[in-house]
Amino acid sequence: MERILTRNIDKPEALTIAGYEGAGGYQALRKAVTSMTPDAVTEEVKKSGLRGRGGAGFPCGLKWSFMPKEVDPKRPHYFLINADESEPGTFKDRLLMEKDPHLVLEGSLIGAFAIRAKAVYIYIRGEFVYGAHVLDRAVAEAYAKGYAGKNILGSSWSCDLIVHRGAGAYICGEETALMSSLEGNRGYPRLKPPFPAASGVWACPTTINNVETVANVPFIIERGADWFQSVGKAPKNTGPKLYCLSGHVKRPGVYEAPLGLPMRELIYELGGGMLSEDRPLKAVIPGGSSVPVLRAEECDVDLDFDSLAAKGTMLGSAGLMVMDTGTCMVAAMARIAHFYHHESCGQCTPCREGCGWLERVLNRIEGGTGKQDDLDLLLSVSNNIIGNTICALGDAAAMPAISFVTKFKDEFKHHIDHKSCLSGTVQLQGVR
Amino acid sequence: MPKVTIDGMEMEVAAGQTILQAALARGREVPHYCYHPGLSIAGNCRMCLVEVEKAPKLVIGCYTPVADGMIVHTASPKVIQARAAMMEFFLINHPLDCPICDQAGECRLQEYAVEHGTGVSRYTEPKLALSKAVDIGEHVMLDQERCIQCSRCIRFCDEVTKTGELGFFERGERSQIGIFPGKRLNNNYSGNVVDICPVGALTLKEFRFATRVWYLKNTPTVCGGCARGCNVMAAVGKQNTMMTTRGQQDDRVKRIVARVNESVNGHWICDVGRLSYEREQGATRLSGPHIGGVAASYDDAVAAASTVLSTGAKAGKLGVIASPRTVCEDLYAWGELTALMGGATLGVRSLIQGEDDNILLRADKGANSKGAAWIFGERASEADVLAAVAAGKVTTLLVLGDTLDPNDTATAPAGVSVVYVGPFVSGPAATAAVAIPSASWSEADGTYVNFEGRAQRVRRCHLPLHDARPGWRIAADLAQAGGLAMPAFTSAADVLAALAKRPGPFEGVSVEAMGLLGMPASAPAGA
Amino acid sequence: MLGPEFEKTVDAIVAKYPQPKAAILPVLWEVQKAKGYIDLHSEEWVASRLGVAASHVHGCVTFYTMYKQRPSGRHHIQVCTTLSCMLRGSDELVGHLEKKLGIKTGETTPDGKFSLVRVECLGSCGTAPMFQLNDDYHENLTLESVDRLLASLD
Repeated sequence: MERILTRNIDKPEALTIAGYEGAGGYQALRKAVTSMTPDAVTEEVKKSGLRGRGGAGFPCGLKWSFMPKEVDPKRPHYFLINADESEPGTFKDRLLMEKDPHLVLEGSLIGAFAIRAKAVYIYIRGEFVYGAHVLDRAVAEAYAKGYAGKNILGSSWSCDLIVHRGAGAYICGEETALMSSLEGNRGYPRLKPPFPAASGVWACPTTINNVETVANVPFIIERGADWFQSVGKAPKNTGPKLYCLSGHVKRPGVYEAPLGLPMRELIYELGGGMLSEDRPLKAVIPGGSSVPVLRAEECDVDLDFDSLAAKGTMLGSAGLMVMDTGTCMVAAMARIAHFYHHESCGQCTPCREGCGWLERVLNRIEGGTGKQDDLDLLLSVSNNIIGNTICALGDAAAMPAISFVTKFKDEFKHHIDHKSCLSGTVQLQGVR
Repeated sequence: MPKVTIDGMEMEVAAGQTILQAALARGREVPHYCYHPGLSIAGNCRMCLVEVEKAPKLVIGCYTPVADGMIVHTASPKVIQARAAMMEFFLINHPLDCPICDQAGECRLQEYAVEHGTGVSRYTEPKLALSKAVDIGEHVMLDQERCIQCSRCIRFCDEVTKTGELGFFERGERSQIGIFPGKRLNNNYSGNVVDICPVGALTLKEFRFATRVWYLKNTPTVCGGCARGCNVMAAVGKQNTMMTTRGQQDDRVKRIVARVNESVNGHWICDVGRLSYEREQGATRLSGPHIGGVAASYDDAVAAASTVLSTGAKAGKLGVIASPRTVCEDLYAWGELTALMGGATLGVRSLIQGEDDNILLRADKGANSKGAAWIFGERASEADVLAAVAAGKVTTLLVLGDTLDPNDTATAPAGVSVVYVGPFVSGPAATAAVAIPSASWSEADGTYVNFEGRAQRVRRCHLPLHDARPGWRIAADLAQAGGLAMPAFTSAADVLAALAKRPGPFEGVSVEAMGLLGMPASAPAGA
Repeated sequence: MLGPEFEKTVDAIVAKYPQPKAAILPVLWEVQKAKGYIDLHSEEWVASRLGVAASHVHGCVTFYTMYKQRPSGRHHIQVCTTLSCMLRGSDELVGHLEKKLGIKTGETTPDGKFSLVRVECLGSCGTAPMFQLNDDYHENLTLESVDRLLASLD
């Protein structure tokens, strides 16, 4: 399989702009800016079928096409790169930023050109100190070469490139919270409409894309939409994909494959199989922790947006967390609940109060003081959160809870009825 | 105009209105906490979730604009279940403070819990503990545990006073309202956050533990603090919650809250006005009539006053200085009386202090300066009257009303015979030839005209202390004592009706026409 | 407050945004870099410099978990304990560190050398278990490699 997104990962020379250019970099940007119109770029990305790689899978070209075709000087356009990567199980954007920063910058600049942006802000999570440092260096190089700044590549288009560090908040990966945070506020998601293309950051037309999403763009421009459609599963699940494999596998890490890689191939071939011979696969959360869990027998599925949706879960951020039979599903769910409780911004009632409630009940069940009504309570509270919140974090907390309690009911019941763990060998203590 | 169906009722709604606004305007109560018509939309409480046909999930009514053909259900089974769910979420960490919380009886959490809640709590985990009884300002106490994070108070300080004292601190379940450590919520509108707080998180210190709200009797009236005339609700309660045999003599204004009037004060009032009742109650009342410092009966004092004033009037040396807080009815009656007596030089005290704050508070602290100008004349100034006194042209002075300054001696010049008619002990009262107590701001019906020419009704909230009578009644009694032909007024409305017969700005002004929100009156021609 | 050099740094940051308020997060980072943490006095300075209310700045400092309101240990150990790291032994790692350092998570050693906290997913799930020591990620940890690392720190 040809390595596309990861072609430079093992080449330290690609970290410098000279090395990146030597490997063919910035040709796509040059092609776009000097020989294409912004709308033609958008059209090409639309035709490619590229879907957002941040978690929602929204068609990228379509999102770009929402932007105004003319720029009102009082309302400049902004392109925001969501590098807040905080979805548990996900670590692919970090790889790109740390090992091929110029790919990220080139893709960002092409996107900025397509939407007629005045500036690109790369919102990178605060913990990625090293990644921000690498990006800063690369940004300086890009400016020096005239790929960013005034009159890029001799055109009339000027665009700034700014790295903006977050400071520890998963919720800032939500696009409207990202905009709130970038404006200098607490990371509170916003009510929609207005949608970002109509009124986003600083009330200006804005597009937000994930790092991996924009990393695909230079290849689309360079090789064409038809080529992109030939990778993966046309027409709606196309292109190369970075899969993050973690948990109980021998070789956790980032693996590139065309969209639609079968899960078992990822786990058993690329990932080297289960960590322990005597502990086979028990469950996988395929898309970062915010999606429903799959039991081992449900894991014969292709890893693309539509196949996983058909299985009642989601590709999401493609952060696969693999659990073997030594895992206590109650403890795992309690830990997931703790995450959402910690990360809830607190703005709206169901999430603010509900996430804490879920964690407390799960902790009791895990610790041995669960009650008979607790499982129904968990389902009820989860259902009361879903659909009633300002943003999807509430849903992200509730859906795993429902899937765990439903698909591993016997384990939860065992904790309640017998105050002990069905997974037996490994007693995982709760964190509190 | 978009046609919308809400709960089966088809209606035309102005474009741009939200579902919540449309529903409320037509009497469909959709519960809500964070929405407030005077503030931006937050959409965070999620209490106003309603069902819109063809929408994939419930939507919040406060933020969703109506669209032509929209069909809304505000009480479908899904909505009812969602509301119960939201109520449950609100209550799981809420402290069981009702027995000690001032908000009880006017608390939306209580009201909605009864109307929309499930009645049973399923929450058996430990509740979150935060700071209680936090003194955050001169007038405001914060209880962080009771807060439901609706953000109304924050939005108020950001958008109305633009002072930004309050903010959210921490995150998630631990989110709490707070003030920057060391700073205080001391803008002149801090009390409004107490009005708008739907729960007992923000309470007024002056009202803390004072009484239960169900012991209060509310009277819609108008503030007497400045020329804006903010609409307020004055609540009267017993001195203590035990019924006393002295009965209504104990009634006092216990608190003042804002009353909505889009033409005057919107939804807000300033703290000075909010606490003006304290100043009133703190000042020493004139406890009874006296003649030359010696206590006298009302009838004797009236007779004596009549003699003093008419002597001065007949000699052409009568002057009148009225406080601009005197109601129109009193000013009219005294004006008529002194005219019948033979005429007087009329003057209105100027109570201009400080500057307009460009929110509500006016530099002119005379609640009825405009009314006084219209009745006594635009040029009737205290300064002119005092100058006349100094020049020996005025030797008898009728001083009306109060300035709430017990040390005020400006209107008690030497060598002048003073008749004082007002509520409080003050300079002129002390040395007056005759002093007769009159009703204070909360004790008599009357009319104020604000700086924009709006005539508004001041209402009697409780019976007067010390047998103080409305000023116009005292004037009428003086007329009778002096055998003068003033009509026999039996109520403030009578007096107003007489005033309204005069050609001029008061034409058309009546108690009915003013209603609860007042009415614009116009300046006299050539004024 | 922190000198003219600092103010120049702040000016350069503010210039990157169309509104000064947007510089709050980067400026707070600079304060923390200079002082090790962000005290109330600094918050007021930032508020004044960027034209916002002090309560707004305090709201940001208390919202974002990486801003410290008091100094941490010289070596601030932030152990990831979210699911993928938990599956690879993060809890045992935390227990080991607590025992070794003699403190519980949330505390600092009396000599000020180490502080220990649990944090959420650091985006390093493929190299679990791991922690962030001040700015740096230390990945694929074992109890032995942790001991060696701690011993090397002064």
